[in-house]
Amino acid sequence: MSEHKPRKTTEKKVPKAFGWMAEYQDENGLLAAARKVRDSGYTKTDAFTPFPVHGIDEALGIKPTILPFIVLCAGLTGLFIALLMQWWMNGVDYKYIISGKPFGITPASIPVAFELTVLFSAFTTFLGMIALNQLPKFSNPVFTNPRFDRATNDRFFLYVEATDKYYNRESVKELLGGTHPDSLDEVLEDTTPSTLPRPIILGALLLVIAGLIPGMIILNIRAGDSTSPRFHVFFDMDFQPKKKAQQTTTIFADGRTMRPQVKGTIGRGQLDEQDPFYLGYDPSKLTAIDTLETGKFVSLQDPKPAASTPPLVATPDPQVASANGAAQGPASVAPVLNLPWIDKLPIEVDDANMALGKQKFETYCSACHGYAGFGDGLVHKRADSLAQGYWLPPTSIHIDRVRTQPVGQIFNTITKGQGKMAAYASSLSPKERWAIVLYVRALQKSRNADMSEVPVDMVKTLDEVK
Amino acid sequence: MNPNYEKSTIELPDSWRAKAPILLSAGLILLCIGFLCAFGGTSTAEDNSQGFRYLCHSYLANFVYVFSFTLGALFFILVQFVTRAGWSTSIRRVAEILMMMIPYLALLFVPIIAMLFAGSSALYEWNAKDIHNSVIASKATFYLSKEFFTLRTALYFTYWILTANWFFRISRAQDESGDAELSLLRQKWSGPLIMLFSLSVSFAAFDWLMSIDADWYSTIFGVYLFSGSMVSFFAVMIVINMLLQNAGKLKKLVTVEHFHDMGKFLFGFVMFWSYIAFSQLVLIWYANIPEETFWYQVRLDNGWKVFSYCIIPIHFIIPFLFLMSRHIRRNRTALTIGAVWLLFAHWYDMTFLVMPNAGPLQLIPLFGHLLGGIGMLSIFASMFIWRADGVPLVAMRDPRLPEAMSYTNPIL
Repeated sequence: MSEHKPRKTTEKKVPKAFGWMAEYQDENGLLAAARKVRDSGYTKTDAFTPFPVHGIDEALGIKPTILPFIVLCAGLTGLFIALLMQWWMNGVDYKYIISGKPFGITPASIPVAFELTVLFSAFTTFLGMIALNQLPKFSNPVFTNPRFDRATNDRFFLYVEATDKYYNRESVKELLGGTHPDSLDEVLEDTTPSTLPRPIILGALLLVIAGLIPGMIILNIRAGDSTSPRFHVFFDMDFQPKKKAQQTTTIFADGRTMRPQVKGTIGRGQLDEQDPFYLGYDPSKLTAIDTLETGKFVSLQDPKPAASTPPLVATPDPQVASANGAAQGPASVAPVLNLPWIDKLPIEVDDANMALGKQKFETYCSACHGYAGFGDGLVHKRADSLAQGYWLPPTSIHIDRVRTQPVGQIFNTITKGQGKMAAYASSLSPKERWAIVLYVRALQKSRNADMSEVPVDMVKTLDEVK
Repeated sequence: MNPNYEKSTIELPDSWRAKAPILLSAGLILLCIGFLCAFGGTSTAEDNSQGFRYLCHSYLANFVYVFSFTLGALFFILVQFVTRAGWSTSIRRVAEILMMMIPYLALLFVPIIAMLFAGSSALYEWNAKDIHNSVIASKATFYLSKEFFTLRTALYFTYWILTANWFFRISRAQDESGDAELSLLRQKWSGPLIMLFSLSVSFAAFDWLMSIDADWYSTIFGVYLFSGSMVSFFAVMIVINMLLQNAGKLKKLVTVEHFHDMGKFLFGFVMFWSYIAFSQLVLIWYANIPEETFWYQVRLDNGWKVFSYCIIPIHFIIPFLFLMSRHIRRNRTALTIGAVWLLFAHWYDMTFLVMPNAGPLQLIPLFGHLLGGIGMLSIFASMFIWRADGVPLVAMRDPRLPEAMSYTNPIL
């Protein structure tokens, strides 16, 4: 930069003066001088010190800033915005029950309100400080004095600006001269050229152009077509030493990569579509019954046809549609599924299974259906008390429709769900589901038994309970 | 190294000495009247148990109320040495005197231990012979037995008294020698001791206050008591320094800058208390499980609802807004008003923690409880005067004293 000559050497003018700057060896000299300058009535003053000096604000006569009040207003704004937002979102616009909590402003709104208050305050403090200090300022006339470099090291400077309304060049010089400064200099305008050197401009231009290149490449690729495979910059798992489904192999004599099932074996999950234990009905008897009804059932339950079912009636049938609609709500009559449900429980009827069924029923079913199965569980009570108008009560297991159902059909309901009731196949193993069916049967029996069915030794206990 | 103050300004005011016996007897009388109110307001002719129950709870609440000042003082002293603070040197001795009152106050805990060994379960349900609550019964077998409870309480007091004595002894030795090494020695040990302090306060809060509801637990409870202690400690410091200055003492030593700083701490710890109190509430409210929520239910039932809700404005909103301004904190009179308000708020907080467990809110016993609180404050004041008598009110030859005297807050 030094060999870069100023271009306008002909118009050399007298540099403009911005004020006086005095230099001191320690903070005491600075503080005394600052007080003197303050008492003489000057307000456009500033001090530069290598470390924070206690009492400098008072010595310079700096007035308290209005920043705290601005921050207070910003904090209150944040507080009210947060509360308003949460009241509107969760109390008015989108009422949604979250773990049974009330709508609108709750204790859970306070952390958000606190955070927004802090956020608004912090940003306002930071940006307000920047703005009130008129930062960023890239250049200051005090930089022209080479002695000023020591302000970050071991010297203390006091600066009186010429823009002060009482400023008089000679009297300020006299005033500062009387404070025993190490040096006293007039702050002069920076006369070095302010235009950027040509190499810097060129370099910046090159950088900008280079910065455009990636964007242009991306635009080009996105606009055009390409038939060549993509670049494998990182291989990841693009190439693996394995065979895919329809490829050939030399390992086996028949050249097939996919192996046929070995005779006499059962694949994992294969029984799920064949065994009544997993289905609740006997698929081998499906062909014996009405294919139209079967088709309805399968289309209700499963979008893809099961392997063992006969060809489906593919024509769109209005009856199927109505059956579909009916299945959505338990309030309307569920479709009568004329499937070969099994009537006999495929598990042992013993104490262990009964206990298992009771435990699982009370864990998974009782929340809605209630402990005795009347459809009066806690979820129902809570939903009913909210009185939102769209709650459909859970079915009681003691109504005739459920009592007359074969065990297989109850098993199917647990497995695949019905109406609002979710499917429990993923939560409960088939054995556990059958145990629940057993327990449901026991519950139903308990409401519909007569005295002759009670074991003799239990009759006495029953009387006591009465 | 030549602090500019007169020797006479660092002695206890002469007029105060005469007041100590009066304060003590007034305090005892107020306590008795308070107990009578508690007893008379709740008891019927045939059953005195409810009155006794109220009395025990009231005594515990008021004891912890004044005791928390000294706990705050001990923490303050430890923190000054952990942070090598210079600004606080001129107010440190008053805090040291406060912390040296722990042995005196330990005597006031004796009635509670005596009550336990007399077999009463009026205050601590776990001390009953046959406990109906299975959760409490499981805890009462070992941890909440009266022997182990007493042992733990003795341990806390031993730790507090030894620490306070050690710091005070070195501080007094420095009054004679002015040796800077003594400051370094305290700095060195303040770190480990402050960790022990946090444990001791947490467990003391669990034992003394939380075990009233032995089937309830809140891990933040110790911090809750600690935050309240700090609020009340700074409030007490402001009031004592104000009174000493009004009696012509500590002028030039304690400046408006120190009041400003204590005010900032007061303001900050009000915020901290609210933060902790709310943290405890919001977790319990959100999880909404019966074994936690019943603690708040007790404070909303039986007529306590309005009382409990009022703690939000009394302990947070009003002091928070009042102390927010720098002009208030630099005005000694205004700051003292704030401090007195928070002394009341801390009493209110202790009442909120303890009294709903005693039974329904009734005005006459509650008034008796308030009289008891004033009585405890009065006894505390007399103890302070006796403890401060003959002790210089400032750490005379601490090397940091000049720094404290010339300390100024930057203008914001």
